[in-house]
Amino acid sequence: MTTVPAVPRSAPASCHDDGAPLAAPVGAPLVVLAGAPNVGKSTLFNALTGARRTVGNWPGTTVEVGRGGWLVEGRVADVVDLPGSYSLDPLSPDEALTRAVVLAEGPDRPDVVVVVASAAHLARSLYLVAQVRETALPVVVALTMGDVAERRGIQVDAGALAAALGCPVVALDPRRRSGVDGLVEAVGACLSGGVAVPRLVPPAPSQGPDELAAADERFGWIDTAVTASVSAQVMTRRTWSDRIDRFAAAPVLGPLLFLGVMWVVFQATTTLAVPLQDALDALVSGPVSSAGGWLVDTVGLGQTPVRGLVVDGVIAGVGMLLTFVPLMALMFLLLALLEDSGYMARAAVVTDRMMSRLGLPGRAFLPIVVGFGCNVPAVSATRILPNARHRVLTALLVPFTSCSARLTVYVLLATTFFPAHAGTVVFAMYLVSILLVVLVGLGLRATLWRTVGADPLVIDLPPYQRPTVRLSLSVTWLRLQGFLRTASGIIVATVVVVWLLQSIPVGAGSFGDVPVSQSLYAELSRAVAPLLSPAGFGQWEAVSALLVGFVAKEAVISSWAQTYALAEPASSHDPGALGAQLHETFTVASGGHTGAAVAAFMVFLLAYTPCVATLAAQRRELGTRWTVFGVGLQLVVAWTLAVLVFQVGRVFW
Amino acid sequence: MSAATHAGGRGGGPLTAVLAAFDAGAHSLDEVARRCDLPLDTVRASVDHLVRMGRLEAKELAIGCPTSGCGSCASGTDDGAAGCGSSAPSSRRSGPVLVAISLRR
Repeated sequence: MTTVPAVPRSAPASCHDDGAPLAAPVGAPLVVLAGAPNVGKSTLFNALTGARRTVGNWPGTTVEVGRGGWLVEGRVADVVDLPGSYSLDPLSPDEALTRAVVLAEGPDRPDVVVVVASAAHLARSLYLVAQVRETALPVVVALTMGDVAERRGIQVDAGALAAALGCPVVALDPRRRSGVDGLVEAVGACLSGGVAVPRLVPPAPSQGPDELAAADERFGWIDTAVTASVSAQVMTRRTWSDRIDRFAAAPVLGPLLFLGVMWVVFQATTTLAVPLQDALDALVSGPVSSAGGWLVDTVGLGQTPVRGLVVDGVIAGVGMLLTFVPLMALMFLLLALLEDSGYMARAAVVTDRMMSRLGLPGRAFLPIVVGFGCNVPAVSATRILPNARHRVLTALLVPFTSCSARLTVYVLLATTFFPAHAGTVVFAMYLVSILLVVLVGLGLRATLWRTVGADPLVIDLPPYQRPTVRLSLSVTWLRLQGFLRTASGIIVATVVVVWLLQSIPVGAGSFGDVPVSQSLYAELSRAVAPLLSPAGFGQWEAVSALLVGFVAKEAVISSWAQTYALAEPASSHDPGALGAQLHETFTVASGGHTGAAVAAFMVFLLAYTPCVATLAAQRRELGTRWTVFGVGLQLVVAWTLAVLVFQVGRVFW
Repeated sequence: MSAATHAGGRGGGPLTAVLAAFDAGAHSLDEVARRCDLPLDTVRASVDHLVRMGRLEAKELAIGCPTSGCGSCASGTDDGAAGCGSSAPSSRRSGPVLVAISLRR
């Protein structure tokens, strides 16, 4: 414990007062203000002392205290504003000073201890009261923040609280100086009364002094006081939330409700965003592309490969991403509304229960939830797991969570190939993602980590509330901004690399003057394509997107836009349209089983390596060996699953 | 309120009851409050105190993001930039905060 030198009453602290005389005369009664941090103690001190105060370090310490004179029923008291402290059991120099001053004996013994307590956090504020009431010091409780408590539906009966605590309780608002007269009266009465009667504390257990038993007794006393003085309105509010939670957090209904809510989110996202996406697409492929082409022609580069890079590469690639902005914004907004309403915390409980039942580490669900936004921070978030085996297991599972970058590809393929059920198809991809996490997790546990136990997780569930529009919009904007910033940088870089590869001829032709099907880009993709033929998409155009997707999934669509913008039109009815070109590619590759091939492609895209940034994060957290193992695992799972989907799907599609 | 009822049959006050609820696998502070028949405010104060005493371990887990950091970053740095794996969430981070509490063995 820190030793704090005692200071004679009314002596100047070694403050910034430069020895200026204090307003309180020597021998003035000593009133100390104690209480937890942020309960309005210093505001009360300022209201009591006005200009008659000094602020500075307590002698021999670096702890800052305020000291000043306060007129109490005709006499000036010496008031000391102690630093914030929850209890008299110090964990910091601030709390050590509070203990030393409050429990000082002899001439430095305080005449009155005013404990400032927040009505909004009553139980937390009363532990100090419980400890001071065990001494013979006169105590007055100054009850602040009544307005904050009222806004939360909490009402504290000061009279009932006083009766339960056995000391005066004065409700006041130091900012408006209301209730200060009551405090003057209560402190004045204490100053006239002298010694207080300490509260009765049951004797310590027979096995000797026990810190937990003593604290437990105080909390029992606090609970009695809170129960006696806090109105039932709070209970009603909690019951209202509890009533919803009986369904939302129920073991069977909870997960079903969660799935239903997420289906609505994806359905609404894909349906409502379509008109805006179409409008943006028309804007980018029409006026913006024309303007870009005109600009390149004007500066005299119209006949060079630069035109292809600017118009078919940067404008087509970035433009394609821009068409997804309404969709992402809508999804981020709906998720923000769910978070702000308090529902997402219930979803976390539901997910955690599911994982615990499957024998997976309960806490692992948090990085996995983060992974549905972006895998990179999710891998880093595995640091919250205390067990090294849990960390490795979870970091290997994170890539199977479907990040938001993959969402854009799902939406493009779902709206192109399954227009009537696009929302359901996207939702199904998220279900597959959850299933993969669970199944691969169980598989790894059954083979590599048989001894991994489960950690309990406790979450503070906030009551349900009406979402704030401003907060939800702000969160949406932040997430959209983050997505766009990451995506735009990656896209511009990959567009340039893809353009370079597409400009290099294999065989005849010169740089920049070669059909894309005869470029190095197509040749590299053709080399890999046979491996994916059993999955129904062994066509170089489809495989090239997966190679680009290895760098980042954000660049998959832009690479297609680049490839097809340079290719011959696939359909005379809709020349150059990405959807029609994709149809052609998948139909040819699958021998007519287009639906099955697209489903297999989406599953492969979900399960194989998310991006190089995730690999870098995995290498940082797990080392090279586990990262290589992870890449191999993802490729094996992706290929096996894609082949299975296509081979089974071709029977029906 | 009777201290004996708090612990669900075990002797002791709110702190003992809260520890017993954690030990029995309660998943949320609401659930702890229900099991112990205590007001949520008292449960929160008890948890704070048990953390101070070293009987419980609490760790804040952020799913929000810093003002100018990556859109889905779990742990932004204090200067607002995306900083994966920071020891504590950014003071500028917005969004909900989950607190994982576990018994110290």
